[in-house]
Amino acid sequence: MSELTANTDDSSAHDALNSTDAKPVASRMGYLIPAVLVLGLAGFVTYISYTQEPADAFLFPRLISSVMLILALWNFVRAALGKSKVGQGIAARVWLRIVPGILLMAAFVFFAAKYFGFYAASTAVFFLMYSGYDPASHLSVKSWRRRVIVTVAFMSVIYALFTLLLKVQTPRGIFL
Amino acid sequence: MKLRLIAAATLAAASFMAAPMAAAEYPERPVSLMVSYGAGGATDFQARIVTMVAGNEDYLGQPIVIINKPGAGGRVGWNWFASEAESDGYTMGAYNIPHFVAQSIEGGVKYSAASFEPIANWGADPAVVVVGADSPYNTIEELVAYATENPGRVTLSGAGLYVGHHIAALQIEKATGAKMAYIPTKGGGAAAMKAVIAGDVVAGVNNLSDAFRAREAGNVKILAVADLERNDFLPDVPTMKEAGFDVDNSSVNFRGVMVPKGTDPAIIEKLAATVPAMFENARVAKQMQAGGSPMHIMTRDEVLEMWAAREETLTELLAGLK
Amino acid sequence: MEFLQYFGGVFEPTSFLLLLGGTIGGLILGATPGLSPTMAVALLIPFTFQLAPTQGLILLGAAYTSTVAGGAVSAILLRIPGAPANIATALDGNAMAKQGRGAEALHISFLSSGIGGVIGVLLLIFLTPVLAKWALAFGPSHLFWMAILGVTVIGSLDSKSFVKGLLSGCLGLWLSMIGYDDIQGAQRFIFHDALTGGVSIITALIGIFAIPQVIDMLAAGREKQNIASIKVEKHSFIDSLALTLSSIKSLSIGTVVGSFIGLIPGVGGQIAGLLAYDQTKKLSSNPESFGQGNPQGVIAAESANNAMVGPSLVPLLTLSIPGSPTAAVLLGGLLIHGIFPGGDLFDNHPEVIWTFINSMLVGQVLMVIFGIAVAAYAAKVAQVPKAIMASAVLVLAVFGAYSVQQSMGDVYVMFVLGVGMYFLEKFGFSAAPLVLGLILGPIAEANFIQGSLIANAISSPAQYFLTGSLNLVLIALVIASILWSFFSTQKENRAKKEANSL
Repeated sequence: MSELTANTDDSSAHDALNSTDAKPVASRMGYLIPAVLVLGLAGFVTYISYTQEPADAFLFPRLISSVMLILALWNFVRAALGKSKVGQGIAARVWLRIVPGILLMAAFVFFAAKYFGFYAASTAVFFLMYSGYDPASHLSVKSWRRRVIVTVAFMSVIYALFTLLLKVQTPRGIFL
Repeated sequence: MKLRLIAAATLAAASFMAAPMAAAEYPERPVSLMVSYGAGGATDFQARIVTMVAGNEDYLGQPIVIINKPGAGGRVGWNWFASEAESDGYTMGAYNIPHFVAQSIEGGVKYSAASFEPIANWGADPAVVVVGADSPYNTIEELVAYATENPGRVTLSGAGLYVGHHIAALQIEKATGAKMAYIPTKGGGAAAMKAVIAGDVVAGVNNLSDAFRAREAGNVKILAVADLERNDFLPDVPTMKEAGFDVDNSSVNFRGVMVPKGTDPAIIEKLAATVPAMFENARVAKQMQAGGSPMHIMTRDEVLEMWAAREETLTELLAGLK
Repeated sequence: MEFLQYFGGVFEPTSFLLLLGGTIGGLILGATPGLSPTMAVALLIPFTFQLAPTQGLILLGAAYTSTVAGGAVSAILLRIPGAPANIATALDGNAMAKQGRGAEALHISFLSSGIGGVIGVLLLIFLTPVLAKWALAFGPSHLFWMAILGVTVIGSLDSKSFVKGLLSGCLGLWLSMIGYDDIQGAQRFIFHDALTGGVSIITALIGIFAIPQVIDMLAAGREKQNIASIKVEKHSFIDSLALTLSSIKSLSIGTVVGSFIGLIPGVGGQIAGLLAYDQTKKLSSNPESFGQGNPQGVIAAESANNAMVGPSLVPLLTLSIPGSPTAAVLLGGLLIHGIFPGGDLFDNHPEVIWTFINSMLVGQVLMVIFGIAVAAYAAKVAQVPKAIMASAVLVLAVFGAYSVQQSMGDVYVMFVLGVGMYFLEKFGFSAAPLVLGLILGPIAEANFIQGSLIANAISSPAQYFLTGSLNLVLIALVIASILWSFFSTQKENRAKKEANSL
């Protein structure tokens, strides 16, 4: 990895998704939870595939869900035995950092985009996310001015690309 | 200072609010046209041609933008159109008769003829029976004779279940009394045509426009047209009726535009007046002719009548075939 | 050599300007997450109404080629493939970028795109009559085995764990079955209205690749030293050229696999890159280095996905059968001008068709030139602070997912898949097998059902699917691929154990 990250202790969050040398940060329990969730999903899908009609249309889903269930069981056993530790898991500090961002995104996608209108919501979310995660000072007028300018500039590009060039009709809510 | 700026911006944005719009000003921005088949298919291709002059001041004065929502023989697109599309006049949809009527009779979808308001019809594309260029069958009678002797052995490809091709195949089976195997393909008329040309199936039911081009390219033979009269593009090909089989025009694929139920009547009226004129534009006619696509322009009232008639015949037909 | 006399048409001022504009515009659209080549070409159709047939086709052809290559830019710099064709490029390309070799990765990606692309178009020029017969040889049973061959790649593709790789693939296969079943019209797994249209590949691609990147950038928090997303060191173009040209093996695998897959109607170029990548990895002397920034991975993937462009037009131009969604849109572009593709196309409209094909050759060269120019600016993209990059990718992902079908439901699907993928990846599941499953599921299912229907009419399914030389060759390849992944995992595990015991 580059020098930029090598000396921070934050490599788990930051590393390439496919770097194998990062040390796992999650406990055996931490690997068991996703294994259980995937097993649950596979079981659910299998149940639906075998109970829904018409049977003809569910031939392929039955085949695939059965294979998936077997693989999920195998994965669960490995996790329970503590054998499977691929992937680095998520450190507590990382959780604290990503949760506000994910909540903001969810509010944007599931509610704000339609309620306030696509452009109004996108502008607000871009500004909030950028400001929230910007390392620059949150007290100086100068850095706030830069945030406003970047937001307006980026949204203008989006408008030019999607509305003017591609003629996409975005949902209108209270605002545009 | 900043506060006032925000207030001004809010006001400006509020003026864009979806206030009830006077039909006189409609349309003020580009209008979308939803096509329930993939980009490049016959419906998509024709929709792009017939709407290309929409931006002229004589017609809408705003461009029409095509959105494709393909899937499951059109069910995905029409479900969306009936349940989610906004009825503000800025979302139009392309209909295919008999497809959506047959699907609504068969069930499992959120729409019926009552969910939509037709505007105008632009084309009528009859179903034809095609075989590969090197097929041993040269007439529909030969094919039917073989099918009668070998029940279930003749495979017929078509674009899906409960679309025009399927209706035609069902009618042919009923009229000839020969049992055939209808093979629905994924990927529309083009995939069904490929199956015929490649010899994956014995014969196929396909759109006249696509079959006409495939014949021009020397890839297929067209045995019969499932319509009441011979078609101008194919004056040498007999109708099923001429060959002695009682197949009417129920499977002819009518294409046109519609809006969702609940659209302002004033907007419907305005569209019903301008859209047929737009279809009659000389440039549109020239391009449609060049693309081998038969045109058939009908006004809103004629389409309403046609929908009602189709619903009746299809209900009867499908009940008799099940 | 008939085509040579039509080169003049390409360099007429209007035509050349359109070619230039189409190439540059295509590169930009291709690099934007969420805009697929099919969309870019479809968007250009209205413009071609105003143009002469030749010029319209030049514009469409230029856009087609360059969007496929442009998708590599975001794949390398952001690990967000611009189109399904670029998924394999992201695996090693992004790993290279993370090591500061972004400029080099972009260079070799454009160079191998250009080389693969030119060879593909040359195949189109010289071998069209021969290839057309090939394209038709693939019936439902063969396409089914092709899809299964693709599925066997899943276990070995970009995954640290064999089980989790297969499980990711199964998840993708299952996702592909959501919505209305295309042949029977039955409703499957529709838990929410947003799922009636199913999970479209482009929507899933945006969510699965873009959203985890956004969350990863957020995970860096407000730390100052984490400003740069990646480092891009200047790299000598001559070195990249030498590296690309000396990678004969990866280039040939990529080109052969790409042109072969492109030729078969219905498989589409979406899996060409992944299959070529997998083959190169399997035949490499050190397969472990793939996924860790091995330039050979980028070369194989990119030469394959551009080599596919030329041959994918063979069934279209000779038989009027569009082999891929993009080819279907090109067919529309031809028909609008009254040009019917078919066996006699080259006799009836030689000036149109040869100028079009020649323009694709020139277009490949222009694409390499502008692509290399883009690489020089890559460092600028890398200097964008993470907070801005995360917000920008999020907004682009939402707009991109929405604009595919103008549907809010697609945005929900995109976001849910994206957040889910972030957590799955943290626990060892991989995105690439999942997308491969999503692409192959419908191909395998539709051809299996279609094949069974035909088989029941003429003979028995066993006979239909298991006899015939082409079926047998494909089955042999499937078995070989499974055995190969199995033994190579065994070998790797043994090597790992030895390393641990030291």
